Amino acid sequence: MAYEKPLPKPNADTRPFWEGCQKSQLRFQKCRHCDHIRWPPSVICPKCHSSDTGWIVASGKGMIYSYVVYHVAFHPAFENDLPYVTAVVNLTEGPYILTNIVGCDPSVLKCDMPVEVVWDDGSQNSACPSSNQSTAPPFQARLEKRK
Amino acid sequence: MSPRKLRDKYAIVGAGYTTQGRIPDRSALSFYVEACVNAIKDAGLSKEDIDGLICYRQFQPVANDVVVTPYLLAQHLGIQPKILSQESYCARGQFLHAISLIEAGFCNYVLIVYGDNALSGKRSFPEGATNSEPADDNAAFGEFSRAAQFAMAARRAMYEFRTGAETWKEIAVSQRKWANLNPIAMMYDKPMTYEDYFKADWVVEPFRLYDCCLISDGGRACIVTSTERARDLRNPVVSIMGIGEHNASVDIHQSDFMAGPTGANIAGKMAFDMADITVRDIDACEIYDCFTYTVEITLQDYGFFGPGEGEDWFKDGRTAPGGTMPVNTSGGLLSESYFMGLTPITEGVMQLMGRCGERQLGSKTGTKEPEIILCSDNGAVFQSHATLILRRS
Repeated sequence: MAYEKPLPKPNADTRPFWEGCQKSQLRFQKCRHCDHIRWPPSVICPKCHSSDTGWIVASGKGMIYSYVVYHVAFHPAFENDLPYVTAVVNLTEGPYILTNIVGCDPSVLKCDMPVEVVWDDGSQNSACPSSNQSTAPPFQARLEKRK
Repeated sequence: MSPRKLRDKYAIVGAGYTTQGRIPDRSALSFYVEACVNAIKDAGLSKEDIDGLICYRQFQPVANDVVVTPYLLAQHLGIQPKILSQESYCARGQFLHAISLIEAGFCNYVLIVYGDNALSGKRSFPEGATNSEPADDNAAFGEFSRAAQFAMAARRAMYEFRTGAETWKEIAVSQRKWANLNPIAMMYDKPMTYEDYFKADWVVEPFRLYDCCLISDGGRACIVTSTERARDLRNPVVSIMGIGEHNASVDIHQSDFMAGPTGANIAGKMAFDMADITVRDIDACEIYDCFTYTVEITLQDYGFFGPGEGEDWFKDGRTAPGGTMPVNTSGGLLSESYFMGLTPITEGVMQLMGRCGERQLGSKTGTKEPEIILCSDNGAVFQSHATLILRRS
């Protein structure tokens, strides 16, 4: 079945990030001058205005900063996913990124819940169409058992 | 900076309304033109007086319309203003811009306008939701709509302080009561109970349908000039006692301060400092209310109550007709009509001019006779904030 959801459209600034996703890596720029890890990508650090930039691969771990549950499909390709969750995840390394939370009932989610990235081959998940296209990484909530 | 010398130096002298609601077979341009002409008439000016024209944000046309630019609008109004301006992405500096142009001596009468055929033209907000080519990579995650973005902020707020449906239902229901007194409000003949509020469908949780503002056909305009000139015109003088502006600018998806303080905090301080008053001097509020939560966080950031105290503050109809702090007395964006910041700001002007009929503040609605009204405008998702404190001279 054809993948009908919108795909990321890498541009000169975002291409390294989306290329990283194809290799199951979350890549972020790190300022060599002030160590700020930035998102979204840019030619110059917004903290110190240095253009001296390196790249890191993030651990893929973070916390749900906030999230919402869609009960209406604003795009027809998402109708079968309802209700689905988009979230802003605060990665351990610092950046706040938009993603999906998959693999659990939305009603158990909470802000500051730990989550970890899952890379999908496209067979089940919404945002990962195929291995040779830029994909969007969804995060899975880590539901720790109570002792 | 404290522009206190500008206190009460400028005024809003005319308000231009159009037919509004669901008005099929009208172009967006037609509403812009109608609103402008009515504002000029209302102020008692002639079209040649207008030497500045500022449009609210430009949208892509719907329903085979053309793009409404200030050029096109000026052409249709038969005017050639010294200054034309239009924002492209919701920065809300229109009134600060108008005052600055007049203060600098470039203009005398600046017309500010917004219009749209969004309802009949089935505009979606933002357009990325239905365009075949979404504007950003957020669409890959199914992230669409202002509702989702404000809901994201509201969810974080629910985690950081006490807020949620118990607070927002008060805002939705109180504003509906105002709309029920306003014959031009889209929800005039549709009362709302708490039960109605809770029974409505989720849109993007935590927002239900009645947490979200209306989409409207129509337009709204007003004119800024000096208070000195305003005294020679036909309407009661409503001056700008204080004005403030702040542009936090950060996209909500990358924000690490989602639960506030929003730009209302800094813009509010600037406006109150200029006006040299405090919230205790405010008689009523007209607050940009794209969502119920926007009203709460704006009033919280202005200092009307502390974080999480909104639920108690809004209770018992404090902001409804008969309440001690009327808020959004036309019904607002939630229950009157959506014309960006011009819905709240023109309502503040009309209330102070005493032209609001059944919903008029004062003895008619069991509220205080207003002298000072606090208005707000909000651009994008808490990225831009404007505060106006209006006073009846």
